[in-house]
Amino acid sequence: MTAPPTVPPAAAARRHYDAVVVGAGWAGSLIARRLGEKGWDVLVLEAGNGGTETWPGYLDSLDTFYSAVAKVPNSAYRPNRAVPSPDVLDMAPVRATEPGGKEFTADGYFVQEGPLPYGTDYLRALGGAGMHWLGAVPRMHPDDFRVRAGYGYGRDWPLTAADLQPYYARAEREMGVAGDAAEQRGLGVIGDPAYVYPMHTVPPSYIDRYCAERLDGHVVTEPVGGQAGELRVTALPQARNSTPDPAYDGGRGFRPAGAAGLPNYGERCVGNASCVPICPVQAKSSPLRVQAGFNGNVTLATRSVVTRVLRGRGGTVRGVEYRSYGDPATPVSEPYTAEADIVVLAAHAVENARLLLFSELAATSGQVGRNLMDHPTMLAWALSAEADGPVGPYRGPGHTSGVEVFRFGDARRARAPFRIELSNWGWSWATGAPMSNVAAALGVGGTADGEVRPDPTFGPELRRLLGSVIGRQLQLQIAIEQSADPANRVTIDPRRHRDPMGNPRPIIAYDLDRHVRDGMVAARHVARAIFARLGATDHTTYRPQNGVPPIGHLTHTYDGREVHLAYRGAGHGAGTHIMGTDAKTSVVDSYQRTHDHPNLYAAGCGSMPSIGTSNPTVTMAALALRSADHIDRHLADLHRPVAVRVPARQHPAARQEATS
Amino acid sequence: MINAGALHAQGFKIPATVPELRTYLQAAIEVEHLTIPVYMTGMYTIRAGTNRLAYFTIRSVVLEEMLHMTLAANLLNAVGGEPNVAHPEFVAEYPAKLPFSSDTIPYIGLRHFSPEALETFLRIEKPRSLLPNPDDDAGWTSIGQFYDAIRRGLVALVEEHGPAAVFTGDARKQVGPEDFYNSGGEAFAVTGLPTALKAIEVISDQGEGADDTIFTDDDRIFGEQRQLAHYFRFNEIYTGRGYGPHDLPSTPPSGPLLDVDWDDAYPIYGDSKVEDYREYEETSAVYREAVGFNACYARLLGYLHSAFNGHPRHMALAVPTMLELRDRAQWMYRNPHPDPDLADEGCHASPTFELEQAHFDEAGEIVRRTVDAAGLRTGEPVDLGALAAAPGRRFG
Repeated sequence: MTAPPTVPPAAAARRHYDAVVVGAGWAGSLIARRLGEKGWDVLVLEAGNGGTETWPGYLDSLDTFYSAVAKVPNSAYRPNRAVPSPDVLDMAPVRATEPGGKEFTADGYFVQEGPLPYGTDYLRALGGAGMHWLGAVPRMHPDDFRVRAGYGYGRDWPLTAADLQPYYARAEREMGVAGDAAEQRGLGVIGDPAYVYPMHTVPPSYIDRYCAERLDGHVVTEPVGGQAGELRVTALPQARNSTPDPAYDGGRGFRPAGAAGLPNYGERCVGNASCVPICPVQAKSSPLRVQAGFNGNVTLATRSVVTRVLRGRGGTVRGVEYRSYGDPATPVSEPYTAEADIVVLAAHAVENARLLLFSELAATSGQVGRNLMDHPTMLAWALSAEADGPVGPYRGPGHTSGVEVFRFGDARRARAPFRIELSNWGWSWATGAPMSNVAAALGVGGTADGEVRPDPTFGPELRRLLGSVIGRQLQLQIAIEQSADPANRVTIDPRRHRDPMGNPRPIIAYDLDRHVRDGMVAARHVARAIFARLGATDHTTYRPQNGVPPIGHLTHTYDGREVHLAYRGAGHGAGTHIMGTDAKTSVVDSYQRTHDHPNLYAAGCGSMPSIGTSNPTVTMAALALRSADHIDRHLADLHRPVAVRVPARQHPAARQEATS
Repeated sequence: MINAGALHAQGFKIPATVPELRTYLQAAIEVEHLTIPVYMTGMYTIRAGTNRLAYFTIRSVVLEEMLHMTLAANLLNAVGGEPNVAHPEFVAEYPAKLPFSSDTIPYIGLRHFSPEALETFLRIEKPRSLLPNPDDDAGWTSIGQFYDAIRRGLVALVEEHGPAAVFTGDARKQVGPEDFYNSGGEAFAVTGLPTALKAIEVISDQGEGADDTIFTDDDRIFGEQRQLAHYFRFNEIYTGRGYGPHDLPSTPPSGPLLDVDWDDAYPIYGDSKVEDYREYEETSAVYREAVGFNACYARLLGYLHSAFNGHPRHMALAVPTMLELRDRAQWMYRNPHPDPDLADEGCHASPTFELEQAHFDEAGEIVRRTVDAAGLRTGEPVDLGALAAAPGRRFG
């Protein structure tokens, strides 16, 4: 596949565009490509660095990942002072200085006010967080769109799942999704009775089979909502190349897309197990594939940081102001302006909110920045029974199957629903395994007194020990729905908190409400029951160790007792400009157009009023494609000749035809 | 080689009957395969992480040779033949004579990544347009000419007997995109004259370039990025310079300088044989590894044989075997040659690609067991999970 045509930031400023898209992640790339195909002149401004769209650049990202000490989601991409990204390593747990005080510090891009840490990162680079995502693309369930009407919490969508079904299908084609449609239909998330995914499901891992054999059909009752859930291990739909299904598209089949930047490359998933952050064989889909399909109508400029959206006449906007920089290490920048008929913000939920706040736009509802969400993720970890032998962790994608039953049903009225992922990567998320196992066995770090440990393990005994403790690692990642709460919010304070280029940093206030915490209690109970059923030894603990709590620690009173819980961020930032029908209570309409400004759109997970228990990317992509169709109609309307009596051929403004 | 050597010796001729055509197509599979050990040796002797451009360039060509081999097998199946790839004579003895080319071309040996190796690669891929005016009476001059003879024979046979009399093969034997995709065009079923001609065109153009340009036809046929034909991809490495957009087959590359470091490779003595290693069996594990490599290569051919003879899904079993071969090859290249004199000269050990009937007998049994255990079925997802270790295995 070819690299998208990019232009220097200065060259991008010299024209008037039909549309400016801010951000070259999934949402921005899908919208830009669609508008380009329709003949509109589109400028895409990406704040971050490019390079990965070329083969040497991609290899450089692989090297960066291989040499990183901590293999966190952003570890494949170089730090960028001009355009900082939040990182999961920004946070550290500490003892609270006062009872009930903050139990963490954060010194990265986010200014975190607490009381709890917002553990979600994203990536400001060409391709956005689509460059470090896992590639999990389960659709949302119809009930997830109407949690207020159905279950009395959170906020409802102005759309139904049925409205989105065709766009889900299109998104799955664009992304290249492998999955089992019959199974997903059984869960109720796919409506079309004839639909098949473009590719057959990625094969289940050994852990998946191991768990399915022992768990399927077993009933676990969680105490909070009283749901008696029959466990069933279900394949995860993934944006990852596998075997194309000849039955797809009415028998026309599917041609998987290969690597960006190198012809003859891009394989099926072969289980390299580094999907987050980077797939060495490019089996994992990324926005670079969409960008490779940009036609000549789409101009892409990287290192172009939009600083504010410019107001136009009336309630409209007229374009964006952006700054271009050369060296990411020394953010010296030049300002430019790009004008357009339509401005689309597609820069991530937090960044969209930051831009709207700094531009003082879309302010009527007072909801910009509010209702920040994520999927607080509880980790539970255990060792399988020694008699069962190794279960084969650290092979294949991060997770390939899950247990879905607690996502649905009336119990979500009482507690947040949750989806249980079966980790294929051992305890890596919970404890930093397998490196932490090696370090512990070797005695790295010494004794509590700082002495060399007298009893390190070496040689065959080390191999046996590591084989046993690493090879039996089981981990559950339980993603809990968090609903819209206006108190969870992004704000800015440009006088106090700016990044090195001078842009305001996001200030985050974040907490988990009772509904989520009750969900966590239920999830903890289910995890215990699953491990018991597997005959595994549960090693999960959320209690402070030597007085220091784990990151994301909280206590919750349930059934008269205080319980310790902890969660991590899932990287699913959502809900900062949520959609609705009422301009007084929501920021955008169902097409992600701001209520206040007819030609300003804010696209992405920020528009979602609720996120269910599904990884949000595929839903975001479906929304983006729906918005792109709407923007196309919108642009056609804008360019329709005004004086209807004048014959069209004499009229100079038939712009749509001219550019098609 | 089973057929290619004999056909070459007969001199230039266009196949005139369907059985003759089948003989030619079996020879085509052999010719495509002949290059793979040569290119593999050039590629895997590159020190890990260095010469990346050269590595991925050679890799891209190897993948296309695999595609060509598959398309040639599809062609043979389409005309009712039976590809034979699990046979001791299928694999050439290196250094090998390049069939269907001028007799003046030196034998093709296994050489580590070096200018000498690239010269060999260039000889193999040399386009007709760079050769003296091809004259059928002058005998074989290039592999392109060989494919042209197949094309002319096929067209004449279809004209004479009609397509139904020529394309008599079972369509279920065709290896399609489900079982082989990406990596330089894609496999497609050959079901009649149009797809057969397309297959021949892909094979010829990816090697030589289309219509006397330096580019292939993949952009037109597969909607892919425009890319150089094999000869010109290799010439970029050899000259250390990229082609510019307006360069012609007859002009040297005029583009930017490329990063090629001939020292970042493991030098080998490519004509080493297993027998040579056996002498040092007591002092070096190289002998054992060389035997193991050849056994593994026989398994690869066993899976391919099965894939080409009615079980396209078995292609999925060949892939892990290729990864095993990569690892085995690199283990060997990282070891000194067991012969102290050669080791003193800096030579490293290398796989020999010597295959005997005993290898295939042994591999056949393993292939049969693996195929049964994997239980792959046409139309179902490819899933090798059934081959995973059974529970209860202890750590030792």
